[in-house]
Amino acid sequence: MTTPSTLDKVADRAARATPDSVARRIGGLSDKAVAWLFIAPTITLLLAINIFPLIWTVYLSFTNYKANRSARGFQWIGTRNYERVLNDSDIWHTLQVTAHFVVWTMSIQVILGFGLAWLLNRQFKGHSFWTTLILLPMMLSPAVVGNFWTFLYQPQIGLFNYVIGFFAGIDASSFEMLGSVTLAPWAIVIVDTWMWTPYLMLICLAGLRSIPDYIYEAAEVDRASAWRQFWSITVPMVLPFLMLAVLFRAIENFKMFDLVVELTSGGPGSVTELASINLKREAFEKWRTGYSSAFAIILFVTVFGAANIYVKALNRVKQR
Amino acid sequence: MSEVRLEGVTKRYTPAASAAVDDVSLTLTDGGFAVLLGPTGAGKTTTLRLVAGLEKADSGRIFIDDRDVTQEAPSTRDVTFVFQQYSLYPHLTVYDNLAFPLRSPARRQSKSEVEKRVTRVAEMLRIPHKLKNKATQLSGGEMQRVAIGRALVRSPSVYLMDEPLSSLDAKLRAELRLELKRIQHDLGATILYVTHDQVEAMTMASRIGVLSEGKLVQFGTPRQIYEDPDSIYVAERLGTPQINLLPVDLLPSGAILPGTARIGARTEHLRIEADGSGVEGRVVRIEHLGDQSHLHLEVAGHALTALADAHTPLAEGAAIRLTLSEPLCFGSDGRRLRA
Repeated sequence: MTTPSTLDKVADRAARATPDSVARRIGGLSDKAVAWLFIAPTITLLLAINIFPLIWTVYLSFTNYKANRSARGFQWIGTRNYERVLNDSDIWHTLQVTAHFVVWTMSIQVILGFGLAWLLNRQFKGHSFWTTLILLPMMLSPAVVGNFWTFLYQPQIGLFNYVIGFFAGIDASSFEMLGSVTLAPWAIVIVDTWMWTPYLMLICLAGLRSIPDYIYEAAEVDRASAWRQFWSITVPMVLPFLMLAVLFRAIENFKMFDLVVELTSGGPGSVTELASINLKREAFEKWRTGYSSAFAIILFVTVFGAANIYVKALNRVKQR
Repeated sequence: MSEVRLEGVTKRYTPAASAAVDDVSLTLTDGGFAVLLGPTGAGKTTTLRLVAGLEKADSGRIFIDDRDVTQEAPSTRDVTFVFQQYSLYPHLTVYDNLAFPLRSPARRQSKSEVEKRVTRVAEMLRIPHKLKNKATQLSGGEMQRVAIGRALVRSPSVYLMDEPLSSLDAKLRAELRLELKRIQHDLGATILYVTHDQVEAMTMASRIGVLSEGKLVQFGTPRQIYEDPDSIYVAERLGTPQINLLPVDLLPSGAILPGTARIGARTEHLRIEADGSGVEGRVVRIEHLGDQSHLHLEVAGHALTALADAHTPLAEGAAIRLTLSEPLCFGSDGRRLRA
C-alpha cells in the first residue's frame, strides 16, 4: 500500500531530481495545474483529430460545400441535405446491402464461432495447435485477405470454385462468385466469415473457460442432463461474452470498407455497395461534401443509438 | 434413506501415481453420519467423489442401498454433494439455485411444491430474505448456506459433504454444526462428511473414519477413535491439546505392557500430584482459555501438555509432580498394544 509517508518520499525524490531550470519555470504551479500540463498533449490531439472533425462535419452537413471547389464558397442550406439523403433510393439500397451483410455475417459467425469454441474447449490432444491455426485468418491484413480471395473466387483457376464444383458436381467455371448479382453479396459474407469467425471463437472460448468445472459437477449431481447443462449453465454464462463480441464485430462490419473494396469495389452494379463505400464515392468521387456529411452523421447516429440500446440489453443479461 | 457400502475401492489419478484411495472398505448404515478425518491428501475428498460418481473407481465396488452403483453416472446415484468451494450457479438467483435440483425433468415437480420446499429450506438456513438476490451478491457464509440448502431441498439416498463449514467464521460454524446435526436427526438422513476439524468430527459423527495416504486406518464411533485408537496416527487426530507421546520410563505407571516403545498420554491420563509421589517437573507456560488452562510442562527434558482449572494456583516456573494413570501403549511400529 502507498501510505502518505511513502508518497511524500516519492515526491521528495522527484523534486530533487527535477533540473533547476525546469523547477524555476514550474515552481509556482499548483498540483492541479501540473496535472493539466501532463494531460494537455493528449487532449489537444483528441480535440484536433476527433472532436473538431466531428463538429466540423455536423456544420458542413447543413451547407452545400464542395471540397474540390472550396474557393467558390458555400451557403447554409438548412436540413436540405438530410431531406435529400433520406429520400434517396440509392441510400436506402446501400443500407439494405449493409443490413444484409451485418445480419448474415453476425448470425453465421456466432454459430460457427461458438461451435468451434465448444469443440476446442474439450481438452483433446493438440487443441492448442488447432486454436492457433484457426486464429490465423484474423491476423492477416484485410487488404491481403481481399486480394487472395479474388484468386480463390476465380472461375477458371480458383480453389473455391474448384471445390464447390467438385462437391456439387457442376462445372467449376459455370459460376462467378464476385461477378454474379445473386452470388456477390454472399461472396463477401463468406470472406468476412472466414476472416472473423476466429474472433468470435476466441471470445466464446474465454467465456467457456471462465465456467469452473465444479459448476458442471454440481449440475451433474443435481441430475441435470447434458442438454439442460448446456442451456441453463453454458449458454447463459457465455452469453455476455458472446454479446460483447457481436457488438464489436457488428460495429466494425457496419463500417466495412477495405475488404469489400478489395473484393468487389461495390459491384457488380451496386449489389455489394455497403454504406461506407457509397459514402466514400459521394464524398471523394462526386465531391458532394455537404451531402455526404449529412449521410455520415445519419450513419453515426444510427450506429451510436443501436449500440447504446444493445449495451443496455447486454447489461441486463449480465445482471440477470 | 439408505446404506452406503464401499468394498475394496481403489483410485489412482494416473497409473504411475500412488493410490489416492487405497483399498477402502466401509459400511455406513442407514441414517448414519460418518465423518472422514485425515490430513490434506489423505484421500478424504476422493473417497467422497467416488461415492458421488464424480470419479470412477479403478477397482472395488460401491453400493448405495444394496444397489451396485460403481459404474453409474452421478445423476442416477441419487446423491447430493456440497462442495468445499461455494458451487453456486452464479447467474441464477438464490431461489433458482435452490430450485435447480427440483426442476430436473427426471423428477418434475409442480411449481407450488418447488416453492414450498425452497421456502422451507431457506427458513431452515435463515436465508429467506435473500431468495431474490443473485448468488454472487451474498457473503461467504450465505453462499455456503445456499450450497447446503441445495443439497437439502432434495431427499436423496445419501448426502455427501466436503468440508462444508470450513470457509465460515467460528460462530456460524458452531450454529450450522448444530443445525446440520438437527436436520440429520429430523430427516433421518445418511450423511458422509469430510472435515479436518476434529470438533466437527466428534460432535456430529456417529462413525469416524480416519484416513492416511489413501488407506482407511480405523473406522469406529467417536468414542472408540478417541479412547481406543489403533495407532499413534489415529490417536494424534483427536484430542485438544494433542496427545503427549512419551518414552516408556519417563513417568511411573502401573500398566505398561511388554514391548511398549512409546506411551501415549492424553491430558486425562496425567495426574498432577499434591503429595510427594511421581516425577518432578516444571511449569513452562500457562495458556488461559477462559474455562480451562493448558499447562505446558517440562519433565526431564520432555515437553508435555496437561489440563488445569481456569483458576489454577500454579504459576509459570512452579515445580509440580506428575504421575500417569492407564495411558495408551504403542509398539515400535506405532501400532497400539492392547492387554
